[in-house]
Amino acid sequence: MVLLGMAMSISMCFLKKIYIFGKFFFKFEFMYIIDRIANEKRIAHILPLLKDDFEKLTVRRHSFNWKKLEKVSYMYKLTLAGEDDILGVISLVDHFAEERIEIKLLAVSIENRGRNKQFDRIAGCLIAFAGREAIKKFKNYPSVSLIPKTELKRHYINKYGMIDAGWQLFIDETIVLNLISKYLA
Amino acid sequence: MSIKKLFEQYTPEELVESFVFPVKLTTKQQKEADKQLSEHMAKRRAEMTESEKLNLRLFRLKFQLEDYINGEYYNPEFTFGYFLEQYLQLTSRKKKEFASDIQIHETQLSQMLKDRREPNNSIMVRLELHSNNVIPAIYWFKLLEKEKAYQLKTDQSLRDHEIQYVTHSLELV
Repeated sequence: MVLLGMAMSISMCFLKKIYIFGKFFFKFEFMYIIDRIANEKRIAHILPLLKDDFEKLTVRRHSFNWKKLEKVSYMYKLTLAGEDDILGVISLVDHFAEERIEIKLLAVSIENRGRNKQFDRIAGCLIAFAGREAIKKFKNYPSVSLIPKTELKRHYINKYGMIDAGWQLFIDETIVLNLISKYLA
Repeated sequence: MSIKKLFEQYTPEELVESFVFPVKLTTKQQKEADKQLSEHMAKRRAEMTESEKLNLRLFRLKFQLEDYINGEYYNPEFTFGYFLEQYLQLTSRKKKEFASDIQIHETQLSQMLKDRREPNNSIMVRLELHSNNVIPAIYWFKLLEKEKAYQLKTDQSLRDHEIQYVTHSLELV
């Protein structure tokens, strides 16, 4: 099975000394999105967003000015394996004291939204990936949170099993592992 | 496209499959939101069982191992013994207990922890079974393989020694 890659966060605390053969590159197996037109699974990668990528992220296709978040968050992109085209983007912020990663922003590219979208599962993969990062980063009680638009709150709960915490929604332990199992494993 | 237009164009179900929107809260609202979240999370954390905590620790090790064996970098500290030690710590097993769990001699376990002895396939499969299949035997295998690949790639003294046995090496332009 082809593997999935993602570049490595320097801040990863368990790495002390690193000998690099090539560029930072992580892979984990079996992450796929579904091509609804061809009716087939396609291997996807989640990689850190690089400076050059901002030129590819247009408001028309990716909905927001992502460059604005560069200094206040870290971002990842989802692409098909071996391709450069960005199908989804996620912006994350760490809250170390609470062992929590907050999803600040997420957007799927315009052709992959709605009833006529080509690829399915993009957002789920990105949210599950945030959960995986939280588990790697935080030792005791890792979690992922977001502040939903009020109208969408119950739909996030239904779709991803998120827990209602008033203004915010969050996922932890079992829910994170379920999402990882569904989208990344 | 404005968020308002996106709400007109897509159903809520379609929106949560495509977006997490930016939401601006006032300082007061943010404070309240943080307090609420903190209370809910504290409640969940208090209810977490030892088994769930172990599960998280186990998956943490799995993801670290997964990223390392599939990464394009090498760290001499990340040996088989290092990750096995991590496994023992997270399962709170003493060496004697763990050796008994997987039915090997304690000395054999100590040697593996110190990277003085390599595990065979049976041991790697026992490790997989002990972790309730969370950490597959192939991960331990790939970890060893990575160490060997690095040694093979960087062992200049071996090359210096072996060159005497090679003649007529290819001349390429």
